[in-house]
Amino acid sequence: MKKWLGPALAAPATLWLLAAFAAPFLVVVLMAMQADSDPFAPLSFIPSAVQFQAIFEDNFYVSVLLKTTALAAGVCAVTTLLAYPLALWIVSLRPKWRPLAISAVLVPLLINVVVRSLGIELLLAPDGLINAVLAAIGLPRATNMLYNYGAIAVGLVQVFLPFMVLALYDVLQSTSPRVLEAARSLGASRTAEFFTVELPLSLPGLRAGLTFVFLMASTTYVSARMLGGKKAFTTGMLVWQEVLENLNGQFAAALALMMTVIAVIAAVTIAFGMARMTPWLSFRPVRAWSIPRGVMAVLDAIVPLLARMLIAISLVLLLLPLVLVFVQSFNDVPQATMAGFRAFTFRWYAQLLSSGLYFDSFWISLQLAVVTSLITVALAAAAAFALVRTRFTGKTAAEAFWMFPISLPQVAIGLGMLRLLQMFTALPAFMGLVLVHVTIALPFCIGLLRASVQQLDLAQEEAAGSLGAGPLRRVLHVILPGLAPGLAAAAIVALLLSFEEVTITSFLTTARMTTLPVRIYAEASYSLEPTVYAISTFIIAVTLAAMLALGRLVRLDRVFSR
Amino acid sequence: MTLSRRTFGRLVLGAGVAAPFCFTRNASAAPAPKPGDELIVGIWGGVQERIVREYCEKPLVAKYGCKVRLVLGGTPERRARAYAERGRPSFDVLYLNMAESRQAVKDGVTQPPTAAVPQFAHLLGLAKLGGYGVAINPITIIYDKRKARAPVTSWKDLWNPEWKRRIAWPAYPAAQGAAGLLMSAKVWGGDERNIDVAFQKIKELKPFAAISSSQDELYQMFDTGICDIAIEFGSLSRKYGETRNPNLVIAAPKEGQAASLNVACITVGTANQRLAEEWINLHLSEPCMLAYARETYYSPTVDNARMPDDLKPKLVAANDVGRLVDFDWDVVNRNQRAWVTRFNREIAG
Repeated sequence: MKKWLGPALAAPATLWLLAAFAAPFLVVVLMAMQADSDPFAPLSFIPSAVQFQAIFEDNFYVSVLLKTTALAAGVCAVTTLLAYPLALWIVSLRPKWRPLAISAVLVPLLINVVVRSLGIELLLAPDGLINAVLAAIGLPRATNMLYNYGAIAVGLVQVFLPFMVLALYDVLQSTSPRVLEAARSLGASRTAEFFTVELPLSLPGLRAGLTFVFLMASTTYVSARMLGGKKAFTTGMLVWQEVLENLNGQFAAALALMMTVIAVIAAVTIAFGMARMTPWLSFRPVRAWSIPRGVMAVLDAIVPLLARMLIAISLVLLLLPLVLVFVQSFNDVPQATMAGFRAFTFRWYAQLLSSGLYFDSFWISLQLAVVTSLITVALAAAAAFALVRTRFTGKTAAEAFWMFPISLPQVAIGLGMLRLLQMFTALPAFMGLVLVHVTIALPFCIGLLRASVQQLDLAQEEAAGSLGAGPLRRVLHVILPGLAPGLAAAAIVALLLSFEEVTITSFLTTARMTTLPVRIYAEASYSLEPTVYAISTFIIAVTLAAMLALGRLVRLDRVFSR
Repeated sequence: MTLSRRTFGRLVLGAGVAAPFCFTRNASAAPAPKPGDELIVGIWGGVQERIVREYCEKPLVAKYGCKVRLVLGGTPERRARAYAERGRPSFDVLYLNMAESRQAVKDGVTQPPTAAVPQFAHLLGLAKLGGYGVAINPITIIYDKRKARAPVTSWKDLWNPEWKRRIAWPAYPAAQGAAGLLMSAKVWGGDERNIDVAFQKIKELKPFAAISSSQDELYQMFDTGICDIAIEFGSLSRKYGETRNPNLVIAAPKEGQAASLNVACITVGTANQRLAEEWINLHLSEPCMLAYARETYYSPTVDNARMPDDLKPKLVAANDVGRLVDFDWDVVNRNQRAWVTRFNREIAG
C-alpha cells in the first residue's frame, strides 16, 4: 500500500470541512468575542467577554438556556419511550414487511420540517383534528394545546423520532437470536427478555440516538417558532431573533456558543453514562441486570399493552401530519393554518400550475440538492476508502473531525458562514449554500459508504488483479459495481438532506437564490395560503418515488445505520 | 507623471464640484432598463402580492419586457438580508415598516426618497420619511363586540376586567407590538423616553391568551375563540371583519390610532434603479392606490389619488393624517434591542 494514498484520499473531505465548517465556526467564536454589537462593525481580534457577560447577567437568557436544555432532555425521554416499542416491532416483522415499516419511519424524516410543523399545527389547533375527535365523543375542546412548550415537544418528537428508531433498530436487529433463545430457555418472559437482554445490548444505539436527538432538539428554532408562538422561547429562537430582528450577530454568536457548550456537555454526559452502563464494551466486570420477581410480574402485565399503545401513538404521530397536509391541499379555506375542512377544491393545485408559484424555488432547491449530492458522494467515497483500506497517521483524528458537523449546532455554522460570505463577496451565494449543504450531508454519507466499502469482497479484486487487471480496470469493473448500491443510497440521502434543509439555509439565501423550504418558512411566518400544501403533497410524492427507487437499490434500513 | 500643487488643487476642486451630481443622481442618470432585466421585490404575501402583480408588475413588464420576481414573507427576513448585503443587494425594492425604513436609510442600506419618482411630488409629509410611503394603515384595538361590556373607546379599556386572559398581545418588535408598547406608555403617562410605565402596565394584563406574531395567526385566534381582543392594523382587520367575522369591531380610541405606514424602499447599490423607481411610481398611482383601498382599506399616501365616496369613511383622509399618533422613531430604534429583551423577559416569556 502506498504511504501517500491514505492522506490523499482523506484530504478532500478534510479540506472541505476546514473551509465550510471549521472556518465559519472560528468566525462564530471571533464574533462572540466582540465588544461592539454594531451590525457593520469590523471584526476585532481583541477578545472581549461583553456578549457572554450580557447573557449571564440576565436571568432571562439563563432561564431560556435551561428551559431549552430541559425541553431537549424531555424530547429525548419521550422519543426513547416511543422508539423502543416501534423499533422492536419492526425487528419482529417478517423480512418482506420490514422495508414498508422502515419507509413509514423514513418518509417523515425526509420531508420538510416546516411542512411537518404545519401538520402538527393542524393536529393541535383549536379547530384541529384532536379537538374534532373530542367534540365528536362529547368531550370539551382543548383550545390551548398550541403555542407552548408542550406543542414544541410534540413537534420535536415527531421530527426526531425517526432518528431514534433507526439508531435502535440498527442495534436491535443485530442482537444474536441465540442470546434471546438462551434467555427464553431460562424461563424469561418476553418482557424480561427485553429488560435484561435487548435493552442492555441496545445501549450503544441508544447512546447514538440520544446524542443526536439532544443536539438537534436543543438547537432547533423552526419547529419551536412555529409551534411555540412567542410564548415559549428556545435558545435557537433567541439566536434567530438576535440575527434577524435585532441585527446583533455578535450576541447571537455568543448564544450559539453557549448552545455548543451545552451540547458538548450533554454528549459527554451521555457517553459517560452509557459507558458506565455497558462495562462489557471496555472489558470491565459485568453484573447481570436483575429485576425483582414482583416488579417483573407487574411489568409482564402492563408492558405488552403499553407497547402496543406506544406503537400506535408513534405511527399516528409520524404519519398523521402528512395525511393532514394531503387533505389540506384540497381544503377550500383562505389560509393555510385553518384546520377545519370546509369544502373540496382543486384550486390550490390549479394556482400552483397556473402561476408557477414555488416552482422557481423548487428548481433552485433541486439544482442545489443535485450538486450537493454529487460532491458529497465523491468526497465521502474517498474518505470511506481512506478509513477502511488505508492506515495513516491522524486517521482517528480525521474520522472524529469528519463526524464533528453533526455534533455542533447547525445554527452556529449558518451564522459563521453568513459572516464569511459577507467578507468574501466574490463567492456566489449558490457556492456558499453548496459548501454548507455538503458539510451537513458528508458525515451521514461517510458513515454509509464506510459500511459499503467494508462489505466489498477483497477476493474479487485480488482475482481481477491476478488475471491482469490494472488499478483503473479494477475500480471500473469490480469496485464500482460492488459499491453502486451504497453510492446510490448515499447520493439520495445527500439529495434529500439538502433538499429539505432550512436551519442553515435560511441564513444564507438571497432574494435571487431562495430555496423552497426557506421560502415556505418565510411565508409561514407571515401569511400562507394552502398552495403550500399542494406543493408539499407534490414533494411528498417525489420523495416517495425517490424512496421506492432507493428501496430497489439498497436496503432502506441501512441508510441511517451506523 | 507628477502633479503640480496647482493641478492637484484644480482636480480636487473639479471633483468637489462634480460630487453633488453623483450623490443626487436622478432617474435619467441611471442606465435605461433592457428587456430581460430582473427586478427583485421583497413584499408581504396574500392580497398585497396579487395587487402589485396586477398594477405594478404587468405595466412594468409590458413597458420594458423586464422580469419581476416577488420574494414574499415578513419584514425581519428581508430586512436582515438587505443589511447583510449592504452595497451589493440582491433586492432592488423592499417593503418595510415605518421605523425600519427610516433606520435603513440612516444605515446606508436603502435610499432616501427623491423626485426621480414622479409621484414623490404628491406624497404626504409623513410618507416622505425613510422611503416612499405607499400605504397608511393605522394600528388600533380590535375586539369581539359580544364579549365587551361597553364599546372600547380608549386604549385604557384594554385593562378592563372582561378582557383578562382574553388578550392576544402583539409580539415586539413588529409594528403592532411597537404600537402596543408606545400607546400604553402614552396613555399611562409615559412616552418613548419613559417606557418603563408601559412595561409595568402591560405586565398587569398577564397572563395573555396568546402572543400574536402575524395577522393570519391572530385572525385564526379570533375564529377559534382563543382571544377576544388584540392590537392590530385596522385596515386589514376591517376586511377580515367584513368577510369572516361580523362580530369584530375596529375601535377608534379617543387618544387616537397609532400611525403606521408601509414603505417601499430602493436599496443602495441596486442594478435596476430605473425599474425600481418606475415600480414605486406605479405603486403610488391612483389605480394601485384604489385597488389597495378596495381590497385592504389601506389609505393612500399621495394627494392626487381620488377615492370614491363609499370608501372614504373607511380610510384615513389626507387631512386626518395629523391626528394619528406618531412617535420619535429614532429613540425607538435606538432602544429596540433593550426593549426586545425586556419584552421577551417580562411580557412574552
